[in-house]
Amino acid sequence: MKTFWKAAFAIAKKDILLELRSKEIISSVLLFAVLTLVIFHFAFTADHETMTQIAPGMLWVAFSFSGILSLNRAFIPEKEDNCMEGLLSCPVGREAIYMGKCLGSFIFMLIVEAVVIPVCAMLFNVDVFNPMIIFITLLATIGFVSVGIIFSALSVNTRAREMVLPILFLPIIVPIIICAVSSSSAILAGGTFEDIKQFLLIIVAFDVIFFTVPLMIFKYVVEE
Amino acid sequence: MDNLGYLFAAYTIIWIGLAYLVWTAMRKQKANRKEIEILKEKLDEQK
Amino acid sequence: MRTKIALALGGVLMVVALVMVFIVVPTEATMGNIQRIFYFHVPVAWNAFFSFGVTFGFSIAYLKTRNPKYDFIAESSARIGIVFTTLILLTGMIWAKPIWGVWWTWDARLTSSFVMWLVYIAYFIVRSFITEEERRYRFGSIIGILGFLSVPIVAISIQLAPTTHPKAMIFNDGLHGTMLATLLISIFAMFVVYFLFVFLQYDNCKDAYEIAQLKKKLLKESE
Repeated sequence: MKTFWKAAFAIAKKDILLELRSKEIISSVLLFAVLTLVIFHFAFTADHETMTQIAPGMLWVAFSFSGILSLNRAFIPEKEDNCMEGLLSCPVGREAIYMGKCLGSFIFMLIVEAVVIPVCAMLFNVDVFNPMIIFITLLATIGFVSVGIIFSALSVNTRAREMVLPILFLPIIVPIIICAVSSSSAILAGGTFEDIKQFLLIIVAFDVIFFTVPLMIFKYVVEE
Repeated sequence: MDNLGYLFAAYTIIWIGLAYLVWTAMRKQKANRKEIEILKEKLDEQK
Repeated sequence: MRTKIALALGGVLMVVALVMVFIVVPTEATMGNIQRIFYFHVPVAWNAFFSFGVTFGFSIAYLKTRNPKYDFIAESSARIGIVFTTLILLTGMIWAKPIWGVWWTWDARLTSSFVMWLVYIAYFIVRSFITEEERRYRFGSIIGILGFLSVPIVAISIQLAPTTHPKAMIFNDGLHGTMLATLLISIFAMFVVYFLFVFLQYDNCKDAYEIAQLKKKLLKESE
């Protein structure tokens, strides 16, 4: 168990260090996420009340699209120079590799969210920078990333890499998007924890199912 | 309320859909079997 | 021979079902004739879930055993599952237009069927992107497993919103006797169609596999 976590943290740390050295992906993904918000502004110029209603939706469209962009890159560094073979020959379980990759991408998504949420709050003058909404977003990001990583590992081994991830990933994360958006909207409309409890339960259920099952079958994706 | 038009459309779609499906599968089967035979013959010839 | 028997049985059952649906069963009081779509909509829906369930089961079996035959069954079942789902969506829309006044609403069952349809279309698109056979079976199985898990969650998450879709009423307040009989016959007819197609498609997958093997052999010998 201890080696599992050690290995997972080492892999996550490697990914983060690699990214910190170049900052290529994080900067382009952040720019892309903010650009999504800008496009939204021009697509729906509306009064404050309407903006409050659609703000959670805008956030999750921005997260999904920028998430796809970054998840697509999650396994490309491993593909170059046969790094994947090196990683697989490590004396750790495939589960640890999956866990490590998830952790890395989770932190990556947190950075994106930490920028997009306040920017959205400022640009559209809606109260999305709110502890409850941040909590919902954190909870939803777990399932989001754990689905994304297994499909990212899968898509990197197909022709037409960039096309495969979104068509698999988007339909599967529909429940996460529904629940995160509905519960955030409820909070913005003045709801309390009681009102969104059911949505949070579904998000937790999704997180549990879509973390454990990919953890179990990840070894079938990366073998060869 | 009489919606026979809609009803008729629905059943036509179902029937055409299912019949087309089975038909293409059966045609494919025939084509595949033929191809296997040709390939086997060629293999025998080469031997 | 097997195919012919199934074809005959399916044909007879379909005719019986049609007679039941159009002549024997009484017209439903509030919706009128359009309600007769129900006798195909429901069996097709059950069979669609059943086919994706079979895909799920055989995907697991493939990953455990690596026997390509299991993937052939999973793939064949998903293929007819997509056709059934398309039929659910189309017949549902045709029913909704006169009853609800719109072709489509984002109701729980409609949305989950639609998402299910999208997942399995992706299943086939991704398979077509993979040229290497073993990898195609393996990745197909993974999508077959994850895709099936997502369907109930979509349904539950939208269920929280009020739904206008008629509730399943077969088990609680009971369907009129002949209505139930008609429904059961239709379900059985669809079931026969399902097995007929899966057997045919399974043979086709196996034949395609054999063709690929023969071609490889031929290439090797001609060298």
